[in-house]
Amino acid sequence: MEPIGHEGLGRLLKLEDNLQTPHVVFSHTDLEESNDLESGGTIKVGKVFDLPPSPLGLDSDKSPYLQLSENIAVIDNAYSIQPKKLVEIAAEFRSEAGYSRLLYAPAVEPSQMPILAYLGVDIFDDLNVELRSSTGWVLESGEWIKHNKQIDDLFSHNRAELNRWILRIRNAISNGKLRELVEITSLHNPRVSQILHHSASLLMEKGARVHSTIRSNDLSLNHPAILDFQTRLSNYEPPAKNMVLLILPCSARKPYFKSSSHKRFFNALREVDNHLALHVVSVTSPLGLVPRELEFCYPAAHYDIAVTGKWSASEIEMLRNQLIKLNPTKHYVKAIVHAGSSSKIMTELVKELGIEVVDTRVDRPSSYEGLEILQNIARMTLSDVPLLNTKDRAKGEAKGLANFQYGDNADFLINSEISGRMPYKLRCGDLAAMSPVVGGFGLTLKGGIEYSLQNGPVITAENFKLVGDLFAVGVKSYKGNWNIGEQVVIKQNDVVTAVGIAKMFPEEMLAMNRGVAVEVRHHA
Amino acid sequence: MPEAFVPLTDFVNESKSIPRDHPLDKPVAKWTEEEVLNGEIVEAGVVILRTRGCYWSIKEGCSMCGYFNDTVPGGVSDDMLREQWKKVRPTLKGKKYAKIYTSGSFIDPTEVPFDFADEVMSDMSDMGIEKVLIESLPEFVNPKNFAYANSPKLEIAIGLESSNPIVLDKSVNKRLRWSHYVKVCKLARDNGAEVKAYILLKPPYLSEKEAIEDAVQSAIDTAPYVDKISINPVNVQKNTVVEKLWFRNEWAAPWLWSVVEVLKRCEDLPVRVYSDPTGGGTRRGAHNCHDCNKKILEALKNHRLGLKELKGLHCECKSRWDALVKQSALRRNGSEPHGFRSGFAGSRHF
Repeated sequence: MEPIGHEGLGRLLKLEDNLQTPHVVFSHTDLEESNDLESGGTIKVGKVFDLPPSPLGLDSDKSPYLQLSENIAVIDNAYSIQPKKLVEIAAEFRSEAGYSRLLYAPAVEPSQMPILAYLGVDIFDDLNVELRSSTGWVLESGEWIKHNKQIDDLFSHNRAELNRWILRIRNAISNGKLRELVEITSLHNPRVSQILHHSASLLMEKGARVHSTIRSNDLSLNHPAILDFQTRLSNYEPPAKNMVLLILPCSARKPYFKSSSHKRFFNALREVDNHLALHVVSVTSPLGLVPRELEFCYPAAHYDIAVTGKWSASEIEMLRNQLIKLNPTKHYVKAIVHAGSSSKIMTELVKELGIEVVDTRVDRPSSYEGLEILQNIARMTLSDVPLLNTKDRAKGEAKGLANFQYGDNADFLINSEISGRMPYKLRCGDLAAMSPVVGGFGLTLKGGIEYSLQNGPVITAENFKLVGDLFAVGVKSYKGNWNIGEQVVIKQNDVVTAVGIAKMFPEEMLAMNRGVAVEVRHHA
Repeated sequence: MPEAFVPLTDFVNESKSIPRDHPLDKPVAKWTEEEVLNGEIVEAGVVILRTRGCYWSIKEGCSMCGYFNDTVPGGVSDDMLREQWKKVRPTLKGKKYAKIYTSGSFIDPTEVPFDFADEVMSDMSDMGIEKVLIESLPEFVNPKNFAYANSPKLEIAIGLESSNPIVLDKSVNKRLRWSHYVKVCKLARDNGAEVKAYILLKPPYLSEKEAIEDAVQSAIDTAPYVDKISINPVNVQKNTVVEKLWFRNEWAAPWLWSVVEVLKRCEDLPVRVYSDPTGGGTRRGAHNCHDCNKKILEALKNHRLGLKELKGLHCECKSRWDALVKQSALRRNGSEPHGFRSGFAGSRHF
């Protein structure tokens, strides 16, 4: 088996040619029942595998939750386990089943398949579809419709539709759009939306970091990547002390600084003396507040949302929380709000924290008049703020970004010789440079060596000449922990030979014999 | 005894709760029903006396049995038992057939003192009752426990539940050895009692098909040793493993079609096999769709009383039951989707 895509805890595995997971088995061809109560029958997924015995006498509330045979792990009752409990169990899926067993959830409804695939289930079956078919219901995009017209062979029609539905799930994983499919199925399905709600922190903690665009809606406030960004903002510090907080609106173009409106803001502000003491933070939904240095970081440059100009109560609450995480009372002397439709809300929120704030009261922030007002207010506000030079500012920016990205392991970058300026030229000596692909500081090989000394995740590969990417078959062992999408260091013979982006989970690299384990960015 | 299967033992104990307080001088229930005695239909008096309850349920208990809910853990004094007896006598008066239940074993002397039992037996004999049905675990079926001075003909009902040791251990949690069971059946019959076997239909964890097969096989196995067999579809009783599984939607009560199927397949057995489903037609008992529940229950009653054979029964839901039975062993438990029995018609009944 070869992992070719991940999203959340779900995986797109290639088992054989034309056979991928998530996969659906059909009861009349692929499942064989057992002859006695103590064995589990067989399942055909390409090859025929033994199923573990059914969970006689066991309490589904207690671990171990999975029934295991040599190649298959079964999560019984996945369709009915209480949503919160199901998420708790999902957290244990891979520690119980490992990565080389296929995880099978018997008798689930098609509408629950996307969320279960998102949580790591590999195999589904058509048992419930068969039952529905026997009562005359037609399957259509995971939903059931009571048919009016006679369909000749409803059973085979529904089986074909189920195959299409699974194909759609697989397709969604390979395009990084599984979350969207799950959100769609959750809309009018209380069970799926409960599972989705409870799984946010699990996905944040253990889910693959897929850098695909988030096409936001109200549900996105709970998107793991969004929550992760919001949580990490509390470790963030602005470039320097005593700066002036400037709150600007977000833009459709990402990163914001590339948008025409933000270019106009910048052009207007650069004429003001000491404009480096202004710290630009954009206000947006569903992310909340995005400081300029973090605009590259996923998902700040990878989302899209319908702009209505209306802020819901939950969004305002989210903005309030994010503002508190930014800790303006500690970091800023004053604030300017120049954020169009969100100005009033942001001004009030800043005021709540007891900071001196000026609202430019401009409806169209990037209009000529708006820019002039912004310029004047900035000039007045900055007149009594200490001067900040380019070098100190760049240092502070690098520090803020490094801390945000690397957390406790960021010291090696902060203490390096920082040069250049935001956005593209900022570097940490010869250790790291800005990279839109990584979404922040991308490590160089030398940076990789330092990172490995700072407890960064290290993968030990077999001894061979590493050219191109590292494949799972070449992985010997690993140290530390990571999620898919994070940077890792590759060592061979105790020497760092490459750095790159992880494409598999730690244990998965050891369990798999095929597939890219690390997408290498720099070789020795 | 086979070694206990620990996870289920724990599960049974955790599902139980302490019975609430009950008045000691009142029986649990009393009613009359139609029964067959010597080939003719008679009215039988049925009473359930409140006692300390089944010793096994105090120790562990069976996964489907909630009768401990009706018991008094501290025990019921002889005086109170006599009070209860006074209250049930009118129900039994004039009947030829009596069924005296406790929520345990009538011939367990630590549950129902022998002297009291002896008294009521001779009382019933004086009332003209010809036959009395009592229930017991196999371990108490010892001639000295039912050596009454004067009693109607005794019929001892013994819960076999299943002849499959795996089902007994991992589904029912009953420590019953087949060889011992056969021995006590013989012992009872040798000492002038008739034996009635209880066989469960669809104990927890079993799928509809596995349940049917298990019940049929158990009936075939036990037929040579007993005088009649009652197929008992499992119903959902309070504070049991079954109730927990049912709440979690991991198990559903059997279909009445399954009851019919089992009875049909047992037609050729040398003993009478019948079923009187407890809670039949309700969500907690054996049921089909709400269109045919009444009809099938009526047919089962007629079959039980020997009035009519189980033939020509039909309903739209039978094809659903067919579809379920065909795949049920693949589902790995006794569950089915909500509303399936009524064809997902969104009915308020199920």
